[in-house]
Amino acid sequence: MNGSDIAFERRPDGAAFIIAALLAGLGSLLIWQGMIIPDKGGYAGIGSGDVPVFIGGCLWLLALTHVWKGLRHGGTRFPRQQPVPVLFIIGGLALQMILLHPLGFSIASGLLFACTAAAFGRRNFALSLPVGIGFALAIYGVFDQLLKLNLPAGFLETLIFGS
Amino acid sequence: MKHTLLSVSFAAALAMPAFAEDYVIIAPAAPGGGWDGTARAMQEVMQAEGISGSVQVQNVPGAGGTVGLAQFASSAAGDASQLIVGGYVMVGAILTNDSPVSLADVTPIARLTGEAVGIAVSASSPIQNITELVEMMKADPGAVSWAGGSAGGVDHITVGLLAKAAGVDPTSINYIAFSGGGEALAAILGNQVTVGISGVGEFLPQVEAGTLRMLAVSTEERWVGTDAPTLMESGYDVNVQNWRMVAAAPGLSDEQKAAVTADIDKLATSAGWKAMLETKGWADTYLSGPEFDAQLAEDIEATTAILTDIGLVQ
Amino acid sequence: MSTFDFLMQGFATALDPMILLYALIGVTLGTAVGVLPGIGPALTVALLLPVTYGLDPAGSLIMFAGIYYGGMYGGSTTSILLNTPGESASIVTALEGNKMARAGRGGPALATAAIGSFVAGLLATLALAFLAPHIVKLALVFGPREYFALMVLAFVTVSAAFGESTMKGLTSLFVGLALAIVGIDGLTGQARLSFGVPQLLDGIEVTTLAVAMFALGEALFVAAQGPAMQEKVHAIKGSVAMTRADWSRSWKPWLRGTAIGFPIGAMPAGGADIASFLSYGTEKRCAKHPEEFGHGAIEGVAGPEAANNAAAAGTLVPLLTLGLPTTATAAIMLAGFQQFGLQPGPLLFATSPQLVWGLIASLLIANIMLLVLNLPLIRFWVKLLTIPRPWLYAGILLFATLGTIGLNPSPVELFMLMLFGVLGYLMRLYGYPIAPVIVGLILGPMAEQQLRRALSIAQGDWTTLVSTPLAAALFGVALLALVVPPLLRWRGKGAVLAQIAGDED
Repeated sequence: MNGSDIAFERRPDGAAFIIAALLAGLGSLLIWQGMIIPDKGGYAGIGSGDVPVFIGGCLWLLALTHVWKGLRHGGTRFPRQQPVPVLFIIGGLALQMILLHPLGFSIASGLLFACTAAAFGRRNFALSLPVGIGFALAIYGVFDQLLKLNLPAGFLETLIFGS
Repeated sequence: MKHTLLSVSFAAALAMPAFAEDYVIIAPAAPGGGWDGTARAMQEVMQAEGISGSVQVQNVPGAGGTVGLAQFASSAAGDASQLIVGGYVMVGAILTNDSPVSLADVTPIARLTGEAVGIAVSASSPIQNITELVEMMKADPGAVSWAGGSAGGVDHITVGLLAKAAGVDPTSINYIAFSGGGEALAAILGNQVTVGISGVGEFLPQVEAGTLRMLAVSTEERWVGTDAPTLMESGYDVNVQNWRMVAAAPGLSDEQKAAVTADIDKLATSAGWKAMLETKGWADTYLSGPEFDAQLAEDIEATTAILTDIGLVQ
Repeated sequence: MSTFDFLMQGFATALDPMILLYALIGVTLGTAVGVLPGIGPALTVALLLPVTYGLDPAGSLIMFAGIYYGGMYGGSTTSILLNTPGESASIVTALEGNKMARAGRGGPALATAAIGSFVAGLLATLALAFLAPHIVKLALVFGPREYFALMVLAFVTVSAAFGESTMKGLTSLFVGLALAIVGIDGLTGQARLSFGVPQLLDGIEVTTLAVAMFALGEALFVAAQGPAMQEKVHAIKGSVAMTRADWSRSWKPWLRGTAIGFPIGAMPAGGADIASFLSYGTEKRCAKHPEEFGHGAIEGVAGPEAANNAAAAGTLVPLLTLGLPTTATAAIMLAGFQQFGLQPGPLLFATSPQLVWGLIASLLIANIMLLVLNLPLIRFWVKLLTIPRPWLYAGILLFATLGTIGLNPSPVELFMLMLFGVLGYLMRLYGYPIAPVIVGLILGPMAEQQLRRALSIAQGDWTTLVSTPLAAALFGVALLALVVPPLLRWRGKGAVLAQIAGDED
């Protein structure tokens, strides 16, 4: 990344503490899950519960390091972000996930395609959606029909390629 | 570029002969193991005999096949084109793993083959016969490390039964689970472990090449291709046979189930399958329909008893 | 001498024009499918194997070899150009390769990958032909403790991929190790961190994580900068072909990558991904300008690409000499061999030499064909980056999800893809490196299982880990790799700091 291209902003509260809290949370989860596993160490002396506990402990150490660094350096710098494009992409992925089986691969993936294009500034859905669906159909044709990859079919695929 | 690619693919596709129903067979084990071998043998014969035009094998390894079974039960529901290979090992694994998915969650179609479990050491091992091995176990069970398949699988069960029959505490065996046949075999050949236990078929090519020595087989009768004694004739009351089966997805209609059963019947009675069994050294124990369902229920009950007995299931 | 004769005989068969056409079709199809993220050579071969039915044995053998090499090469193209690794072995290729592509040096990156793969494939296939029986003895010496030592070495080596901050690199690595716990424990069958969700019993798929963190995370990050802030991507800057400097910086990594990749691939529990990690770390240590790593160092593409190709040839060693299929790719190849009557096993070289040498000649020819096909196409591939950004990223996301859907079209899998995509975005935002997460996910379970196996065999005696010279030596190298660089850095601190200040990335 070219740091000089991106506007930086100081956050004195520091994301370091939030990250530390997340790491500690993940660490605690691992330690707890490791502890409730009945001992099956056998001859090794190390059972299936010991490794999660160890990794959980290391995550706690990293969390403490983050706190220490956060205190010393007064937080992490990060570039200003635009939320709308991010939401467009996540929305596109969610739509694809939900609609994949009911509507089939091409329509669901065409929606993802159009949403991603929108995230990058091409908001003309009347153009991007048909292009996306057409592109996805071509992919379906090549990979499902010719190369035998199993892709979920909807009414559009059945209409064009038969069942 | 796109045009050349497409036309080449089209040409290649046209060159393929047209066949019946396509199948995906899930082998719930890593490549190289017994179920993987069964799935690939089915693939080969089903394609060669024209039962199916395109058969794909997918490996979903782990934990005695329950990982693959769970994934299969959830993702293949209602899809008659998907099959899963399974077997005796899976029955045990479902119990030891306390698996939320059991064989009741899929549609068992038929039992295909059975195979003896073999006990073998590297050719350079000082152990010459099964009695010597058992004496070593009696002296110090922890010093005898066993390389075999998944924890709680047929290999593990056989070791437990052998220990029990020889008067060694079955919970004290030092059993090391490998998820694929290839890695376990390498560990035995490289003298990393004391002894290996696996399907006889996996050991035979090595025995033939003189790199492994088979000490015993687990079935009632001796096994074709090796002169190793059975555990019974060596004085240990152990009789285990590792059978393998094929199951279809849950939620099939009666017609779908009948169609799949018919395809598997066609497979099992084909000349290609008989030849395949011959080369692989598998015994034909084909059983389908209500007889198989009854046999399966019986096996599940018996396995539960054995596993509880040797301390693998509480 | 007879070895050589057999090889020549194999070539004579393979040089028929019709056979060469089959090789071309195989390589093309293999590349086309291998390009998909998440679909590696194993699946490519599995998907395309039916295409080879109905051909004569020589034709199907050569087409099969072509598909295999094409599938391997396809993955690196998307890694370099689109930052979406096709499989775990080309993850490190994306690290440097994509940085090069963005700086307009996609041409040389693709060329060094292609030529490096070719050189490695050539040398490794020759090594397979002449050294297989010796290599396999070495492979069998590796038991659980040696594998554990190798994993430790790999962990230390890949710290090269950590970026500037050790704390951030370690954080990423441990997030990966934590994710690796999810699923059923291979040694006891105990479910861990699965919370009763059956799909989690599988654990987290490496390719899902890699595609999500690289492709989705990247797309989210770039989009979030807004149109005005986006860094410029140059499709071509300078020469599309490799310059003299590129050649002189590439040839050593190719050879080192081959030397690392082949033996590791030959080990029953080795693998192309570990080989590529080790090669990347080695190149960073050997490079004249290690500070270029992370910003598009050509050595970081040349070495790992050679290593993963050499490792792929290496997996044929246990397969052909012992009949052990040690990777998914090898198992698929086994199915392919059986199709033309080759039954791999300990006696294969003795019982059917013609077929073995035919196969080896086919592999060599497919390798050459791949180079012939791909070098002229590089000009075409780099043009992909001139596609307007909205369409380019829309296409990348479509392909990224296609790989996951094709493997396992379950909403749970797609949800994980989305979740890890967001995680990858956040990590980029705060400057945490991505590669160590994936490294942790791959190496974590291997290290854990090998350690527990080793200790179980030794009945809990920890000294077993250093009880063989090989294991002790591997640990020693790992220790040196850990201790020496900080010492050097400490001694030459002034100079290095000055250099960093001068670089100002």
